[in-house]
Amino acid sequence: MNVSKDLIAASATPLILAILKENDSYGYAIIKRVKEMSENELVWTEGMLYPVLHRLEEQLLIESYWSKSEAGRQRKYYRIKESGLNELELQKKQWQIVHSALSKTWSEEE
Amino acid sequence: MFDLELQIHLWSDHLRAHGNLKEADIIELESHLREEIDDLISAGLTADESFLISVKRLGNLDAISHEFAKVNTENLWKHLFIDPVDSTAKKESRRDIALVVIFALLAGTLVKIPGLFGLGFDNPGAEHFYLRNISLFILPFVAAFFLIKRKSNRKTWSTIMATFIIAALIINIYPSLAPYNTEILSSLHLPLLLWLIVGVAYIGREWQSSQGRMNFIRFTGEMVVYGVLVSAGVLVLGLFTLAIFEAIQIDAEKFMGNYYFVYGACAAVLITAYLVEAKKSIVENFAPILAKIFSPLFLAIMVTFLVVMIITGKSPFMEREFLIAFDLMLALVLGLVLYVISSRSNQQPPNYFDYLNLALILIAFVIDGVALSAILFRLSAFGITPNKIAALGENLVLLVNLGGLAWLYVVYFKRKCDFIKLEKWQTGYLYVYFIWTAIVAFIFPILFGFY
Repeated sequence: MNVSKDLIAASATPLILAILKENDSYGYAIIKRVKEMSENELVWTEGMLYPVLHRLEEQLLIESYWSKSEAGRQRKYYRIKESGLNELELQKKQWQIVHSALSKTWSEEE
Repeated sequence: MFDLELQIHLWSDHLRAHGNLKEADIIELESHLREEIDDLISAGLTADESFLISVKRLGNLDAISHEFAKVNTENLWKHLFIDPVDSTAKKESRRDIALVVIFALLAGTLVKIPGLFGLGFDNPGAEHFYLRNISLFILPFVAAFFLIKRKSNRKTWSTIMATFIIAALIINIYPSLAPYNTEILSSLHLPLLLWLIVGVAYIGREWQSSQGRMNFIRFTGEMVVYGVLVSAGVLVLGLFTLAIFEAIQIDAEKFMGNYYFVYGACAAVLITAYLVEAKKSIVENFAPILAKIFSPLFLAIMVTFLVVMIITGKSPFMEREFLIAFDLMLALVLGLVLYVISSRSNQQPPNYFDYLNLALILIAFVIDGVALSAILFRLSAFGITPNKIAALGENLVLLVNLGGLAWLYVVYFKRKCDFIKLEKWQTGYLYVYFIWTAIVAFIFPILFGFY
């Protein structure tokens, strides 16, 4: 099923922050992780991911550093910052509000 | 055979050409592409299949670049002093800056040393000493900077430094006699000769290749453009310092003249060399842009000049100063032609600027023909002087250079040869300049008895 573009855009920030909270990661791995967690339902494009990462970096929610991969290749890793963790908590609450509201209306339908 | 590396490079170059991405973004995306390819290859696909699929998955480059443009609004203005991403590049750029500072201090101190032996700026006779040696104070350091940067071997080091030392010895052993004709000629030609030596250091191992020499020609043009800008900065800062100290009744003139402008000039040269080397791949070359703007204008002026000269029937070559002015004009035309050539690719078909170049060369040729006949006339009428012989030689050297280019342009337009021939001719001709400047600097004084 195709998830709408707006929804993907809206959920990108909390997903990225949540993944980076687990451990530091880089672009390619983040996309793979999202795919895995959503059971192949959410497939992000690079054109979408990197601008979001860079925007989060600019907002000082995450930071980046260069490191070498096992194959000796330059890789740009991202790490979550204190303010990013706070932002994640905030987003979590907001999504929970949306989620619980939606679940209630849907359970009433049944 | 499918060349994966080459394909990846083409892909990232394409991304680069969009201009919306920072170098770090490109490296990040390229590394992403490689991860994807590696995964697919380990899943059993061949290299070319993996490449195609990965590129497709990464998506439309225009779209990516557009998305990035939203974030990177400021980087359409490229910055020279971007922080290098990996640690080796960072180390190297730090080392280069340290070298520039150390060499500028050393060069400035070298200028001050003769002052300890009674050859300060104010001492009588010192101006000839400084005029003679000015290039020797600074160019060896520029050469050393590039020798270090190119990791040259000991043999290259010793050859180049020995050349500087020999030049310094010869030029200072020669007696300095009034009216200083040959001495001034040597002083003017020595910097050009030594600049070509710096070129050998700049090009490094492939100093005999036409590509390497073309790069040195490009480098020279950019040196001039950036040098003017940096020197203007040094000058403004200096004048400003003088003015504000004067406001509080402190005379900084002596200090500024003795130290600031000496060290400032040395630093300006080295900083320019460093900047031009660093900016190479980041900022578009400026000399070709200037050449393209001014070559049509020069052509128009020269045609007008020729027409007016014929109509009024006046000969412009009665004074020696004018002859020298026409020599300079030829050199300038050569510069314009050269920098237009330097910015074009060899595979490109002939374009508007190539025809313009040929027209410019031909008109310069006609004007120079008139000039040359006037010089010959003056030689026979007033006898031989070193200045006239030098002017004549200069003229011939430039004329043959331009003539060769014109001839090769014609052959090229007839599609009888590749453009690379033109480049080879020009880069090979640097030998002639080397030999000629060496003759004027070192042989002329002997020939004319240091007159």
